Amino acid sequence: MKRIIRFSKFFVPALIVSSIIILFGLIGYFTKGFNLGVDFQAGINETIQLALPVGQVTFAGKGNAELTVSESQLTLVFSGAEAQERTVTLDYKTYPTIGDIKAALEKEPGIKVIIPEGSDAVSSSILVPTYQGNSLLSQNPVSLYRTPMNEDERYASIEIVRDALKPLGEVSVQTINPASLQRYLVRVRDDGTDPQFITNVSQTIRRLIEDKVGKDRVVVIRTDYVGPRYSQTLGTQSAWLVATTLILILIYATIRFKIQYAIGAVLAIVHDALIMVAFIVWTQMEFNTTTIAAILTILGYSINDTIVQFDRIREERKIHPSDTFVDVLDSALTLTLGRSIITTLTTMLAVISLFIFTTGSIKDFSLALLVGMTSGVYSTIFIASAFVLMWENNKAKKDSRRSKEVAKEVKPKAPVPAKS
Amino acid sequence: MSKTRRFLIVIAVLAVAFMFLFPSIQWYFLTPKEDQAIAVGSREQIREYARRMTYLVITDLKQKANEKDTSDLSGQKTYRLAIESAKKAYSLAKKPIPKSWDAVAILSAFSSERAMFDSIESRYREYVLRLKNVHANAVQLGLDLAGGMSAVIQADLPGLAQKVGHDLSPAEKEDAMKRAVEILNSRIDKFGLTEPVIRRQGEDQIYIEIPGTPDPERINSIIMGKGNLAFYIVDSEASAAVNSYLSTNPVGIDEQTMTVDKPGLVPEGEIVRKVYKKDSYGLDEFTGEYLVLQGTPGLDGSHIQSATVSADPITGQPETNFVLDREGGEIFYALTSANVGKTMAVVLDDRVKSYARIQEPIRESVRITGFSADEAESLALLLRTAALPISLSVVSQQAIGASLGEDAIGQGETAILVGILSIFVFMFAYYKWAGANATIAQILNLYLMLSVLTAFKLTLTLPSIAGFVLTTGMAVDANVIIFERIKEELRAGKSRAAAIHAGFDKAFWAVMDSNITTIIAALFMAQLGTGPIQGFGISLAIGNMTSLFTSLFVSRLIFDFETDVLKTKHVSISWRIR
Repeated sequence: MKRIIRFSKFFVPALIVSSIIILFGLIGYFTKGFNLGVDFQAGINETIQLALPVGQVTFAGKGNAELTVSESQLTLVFSGAEAQERTVTLDYKTYPTIGDIKAALEKEPGIKVIIPEGSDAVSSSILVPTYQGNSLLSQNPVSLYRTPMNEDERYASIEIVRDALKPLGEVSVQTINPASLQRYLVRVRDDGTDPQFITNVSQTIRRLIEDKVGKDRVVVIRTDYVGPRYSQTLGTQSAWLVATTLILILIYATIRFKIQYAIGAVLAIVHDALIMVAFIVWTQMEFNTTTIAAILTILGYSINDTIVQFDRIREERKIHPSDTFVDVLDSALTLTLGRSIITTLTTMLAVISLFIFTTGSIKDFSLALLVGMTSGVYSTIFIASAFVLMWENNKAKKDSRRSKEVAKEVKPKAPVPAKS
Repeated sequence: MSKTRRFLIVIAVLAVAFMFLFPSIQWYFLTPKEDQAIAVGSREQIREYARRMTYLVITDLKQKANEKDTSDLSGQKTYRLAIESAKKAYSLAKKPIPKSWDAVAILSAFSSERAMFDSIESRYREYVLRLKNVHANAVQLGLDLAGGMSAVIQADLPGLAQKVGHDLSPAEKEDAMKRAVEILNSRIDKFGLTEPVIRRQGEDQIYIEIPGTPDPERINSIIMGKGNLAFYIVDSEASAAVNSYLSTNPVGIDEQTMTVDKPGLVPEGEIVRKVYKKDSYGLDEFTGEYLVLQGTPGLDGSHIQSATVSADPITGQPETNFVLDREGGEIFYALTSANVGKTMAVVLDDRVKSYARIQEPIRESVRITGFSADEAESLALLLRTAALPISLSVVSQQAIGASLGEDAIGQGETAILVGILSIFVFMFAYYKWAGANATIAQILNLYLMLSVLTAFKLTLTLPSIAGFVLTTGMAVDANVIIFERIKEELRAGKSRAAAIHAGFDKAFWAVMDSNITTIIAALFMAQLGTGPIQGFGISLAIGNMTSLFTSLFVSRLIFDFETDVLKTKHVSISWRIR
């Protein structure tokens, strides 16, 4: 027989340490709160076109002139008090090249178009449309842009854009296919601190990319303010679900074991969840769906661990019915220690590998898991088992007191030895 | 249970799992990239492709025949489908099959050019449509790994205001939009495993991203609303009159408003609709026929409780079975008994999908043809989910790339591979050959988990794959509990067979109890949670069940196999014991 480790001696100090950590976690939760991730927050979706300038239009006539470029045509609207209201539409089928468009536009009074040399033959169908808003023409030149004609003209890639936007922190960049268009979808979250968020971020995005690829090459096709992907109730919802699940676990464990074991197991789970919350709050790690998944995973892991332990305690108790409960407990814990260590090790191997090789949310996920797993193994011994021991001791005390009282009443002169 | 029977059960489970996984294997490993690109296109594109390819092949063959090029073309990919259909044509005509497949031999297989075109086109069609089907059943890569399709959807708030008859308050707008988002979510992400992005955009738009290849039909089928399905009684006389009038006056109908320009043809209050049928690509094709229908539907789609798809036993055409609710059944019975002998038309979104004479009164269950299997399925899905409060339309849609960079995906792959290998190496190093047993059990566990989840329309994202590795790490636990028990029994001096037997038996309840508690929790979350929580619950529950199967069943079978067949006497389970 192996030497039995007296785990029960450390129950009280462990309880104190746990309580302090959890208390700190709760303080953190109420003072700092979670650092909510991009999925829980609103933000902007901005479509950016990395384009090539293909001309500049100026207007020196009377009234207003507005220019709209769409996928199939270019429209010029003259309006205002001094001018006659009319619309000029240049269809790309009728005006297949930039040169044709220039010639047609310049027939209009006051319009002047400057195009770079050699651009006459460029197809008008690759002009970048102005999706949001028209350009009001004036003496200040308004630029026209086009997408790359062929692979040789392509200068941007998603890596360049990602790299350029790094200073913004958590930003998602996606290619809009086909990649040859050089069109990207940028998503930035709004943490609510900047009242001028949309304008400021939009400008920053533009500036950052321009710094990388050069001025006059970035067109913002559209900017939309979008709501969060998950409402914040997802976190609350999962908390409620966990709470109700705990009741189910309580019932199952009561049927399979005894009520004190069931309560012990549930306390251990709650302990682990709170320890993880403390960790997540104090590291200000981003709280997203992976974090929720991490907490839920740990709850499953912890209950698993606790039940395996309890199963062993129950068995040991049957084998050695005459031993005191504390001895049974210590020997069961010692016996399952090997299994606990190995299981934790294998799982940790997987998690550590995730932690070492990945970045971003999966790295955070694995870090949270490492903390949670440690807490899970710890809580099985020092929370769940400790609770059961406390309960049993208490019961033993009560029993002995009662039997003493019973003994006093019936046979006051002959004391009965206390039951173990 | 006898060992042979246990072995057969394991084989059967693995085979069923393979069936679920096969489309994924076929799609990702056995289908050339260019064929994939064609198969993910819309049905219109597929039709165009099949016709163009057929045309090209035939022109090419004709040119070869003219040039007296008699080289054997078999074995060349371009002509494979043409040669296959020629072979079929020869054997159907009972003509001898030529030895060498030159251009002339292929061309002369067919009785007419039309027959040749149809035959070869149907080969192309079947090939691509079959691939499309494979793709639909294969596991999809998530938005973070492979991107997908994004769309902006416009909600018709003024339309809703008109419907309710007063201007909408901000709270009502908010509520309607919230419900629309929820319903879209339940349609796109039935099990919480698809991981789409659905966000409100501005006041009256919804922005969605769906993983998988862009397919406009999918978006349309999601936002199709109630599907506006209704049953109408046909006015046969007026229909005959309209059809005969239009056959001489093809422009006599305004396609926009569906009004015939000759007054009196269509009785007051009745409506004209076009009849469509499915072509071989599953596309709606106008038959040239018009039907005049009684103005109000005899029964509308809101009374349909469920819709299932089956195949007609004789023609093999997909049939849709609609089950009506009680009230609908009553209405339908009254309607059909009053109109025996007349024709009833099934109209979806203003298109007559099918019509038939009412032979006898019908209650409750209606079986109709005229829907493609896909359409019937998406209709069934739409009917099962709640009706959309607002009508939606697609503003724009585009294909988007992966949200993770290639370097991040690469890191993830390394991490996952290293993680899983280190678990296996560790198990092997610590438990020697028993560790190999556990490794086999865990590999089978991964395989089963993946295949069951594929059936639940799992989308593979980096976090979900990381979850698989984590599950493996935790599932090893069952093996560890059992192995530690076996070791104890061995230390107590038992023989191999006895130690294994006792080890499994004693560990059984520890493994069961711990897993059942987890499964209870997981199923509960799968049932009550939404989105990612539901998905997490489902994967956790399935992972636990498969791991119970592999650790208690498969792993034990391997031990027994070694004992009985390989006559192993010792247990190679530890460095310290024997």
